[in-house]
Amino acid sequence: MRIYLRELKANLKSTLIYIGVVAFFVVVGFSKFSAYAENPEILEVLDAMPAALLASFNMNAFNLTTVEGFFGVMYAFVALILGIAAVMWGSEIISKEERDKTVEFALTLPVRRSTLITAKTAAALTHCILLALASWGLNAVNSAAYDPEPGFYRFLFQGMAALVVLQVIFLAVGIFIGSAMKQHKRAGSVAISVLLGTYFFSVIAGLKEEWEFLKYFTPFEYFDPALIMRESRVEPVYLWISLGVILISLAGAYLTYQRRDLYI
Amino acid sequence: MNIFIHEVKSYLKSVGIWSVAIFLIILIYFSAFNAVAVEAAELEEMLSSFPDELLIAFGMNDMDFTSLLGFFGVVFLFCQICLAIQASNYGISLVSIEERELTADFLLPKPVGRGKILTAKLLAAFTALTVTNLTVWASSFIVISLNRDGRAFDVRTLALILSTIVLFQLFFLSAGIILSLLMKRVRSVIPLSMALSFGMYILNIFGTMLGEDKLEIISPFRHFDPNYILAHGSYDLPLVMISVAVIVIAIPASYALYQKRNIAAAV
Repeated sequence: MRIYLRELKANLKSTLIYIGVVAFFVVVGFSKFSAYAENPEILEVLDAMPAALLASFNMNAFNLTTVEGFFGVMYAFVALILGIAAVMWGSEIISKEERDKTVEFALTLPVRRSTLITAKTAAALTHCILLALASWGLNAVNSAAYDPEPGFYRFLFQGMAALVVLQVIFLAVGIFIGSAMKQHKRAGSVAISVLLGTYFFSVIAGLKEEWEFLKYFTPFEYFDPALIMRESRVEPVYLWISLGVILISLAGAYLTYQRRDLYI
Repeated sequence: MNIFIHEVKSYLKSVGIWSVAIFLIILIYFSAFNAVAVEAAELEEMLSSFPDELLIAFGMNDMDFTSLLGFFGVVFLFCQICLAIQASNYGISLVSIEERELTADFLLPKPVGRGKILTAKLLAAFTALTVTNLTVWASSFIVISLNRDGRAFDVRTLALILSTIVLFQLFFLSAGIILSLLMKRVRSVIPLSMALSFGMYILNIFGTMLGEDKLEIISPFRHFDPNYILAHGSYDLPLVMISVAVIVIAIPASYALYQKRNIAAAV
């Protein structure tokens, strides 16, 4: 419990900075959105397109003149920022002990290594949830001025809940990398390469049918805002993959950290 | 000179990894897009049915799939992200690494001025970045010629795009150095460099996607937008000057700051 509280405090500044970044993007985004809101010109362009086309590509979800559509676009950015935060926190919360040369102290405490990881994971998870809650609040407050439809808040809530799952995936992967990497200095770079790699995958996954399988490798494609908005659900197969990745990464983290040779 | 050689040696491995990564990105993505482009007509139909916001986010809004360079803009954007991360990494760790690893105590008592140390380090980092730069040039030309199938492409435009890399790298390098010197203590480099490079990237797509230039003009991703160069065959000079101004201000300022820096010693 003390380790948990200690980590909670140590990570607070970073969380506040990330909340600031999200706040910045949300405020700038909504200030831009004010130019689009109820703008008939954009609606005309959309109306000119065949309805079947709009439906088949979820364009309704990306109608920029409504708050729902606007949030559908913002969603990708929020996902990216939250993902970066989670993977960085995950790898750093483990590897920072060796970097700051505090690992001898931490591991001579009368607690098992597994307890240490549990406490650290719980602390990082708390911060992820805090960040998601803050993003939720910021979006809700900013969109209130455009009196959205009643369904919007449900969409917003479900969208943010999906992002928490995304964060947990990246957090678990980050913790695994932090525990398993022999060189603690490399952990951060590897974590970031994983994030970038999956992000690049998500860019091209939608381009060609044969590349659709790439979607299974990138958490950024797991939670489609259009599907959440229209049917308030996500594809169950992606939830199972998420669960699998989280469990395997955490199990890997516990196993490798038990046997970790410390860099002192 | 000794400092320079020592620094260049320490960059070797990192430059190797980055160069290989960037070469693979260019190879895989260019070939992938090229494979799609074979069915250009179908593809354009499909892309036109995508929501515009999505296409703009990845710089695909005015891609011309019939020409070889049409989609080089997207591939180059991926390279830019990597180059930005690499350059800001080098910039932020340039002098801060000595304090973090407690080697500043060893380096600074040496009979060389701080100005000289910074010059040697800067030159070494710039050399490392230039090697990566050359890899991008070489891989671009190699990959495009591998995929050209007898089609012609505009060498001048390609050279124009690739020439932006030097300034692009210098922007992130100098911004990184000044950032690390403005901070009292840099605990770890990667969160900072991610904030600098990825922040600029997100800022740029954010601006393109939602229209209206406000803050986006500070982003080098905007200054050196490959799609602008592809469309106009020239640079967006006023914006490029912003990058140049940042570099010209940041480097002398770093010398001034480093001369006066209070360095935390071991113990």
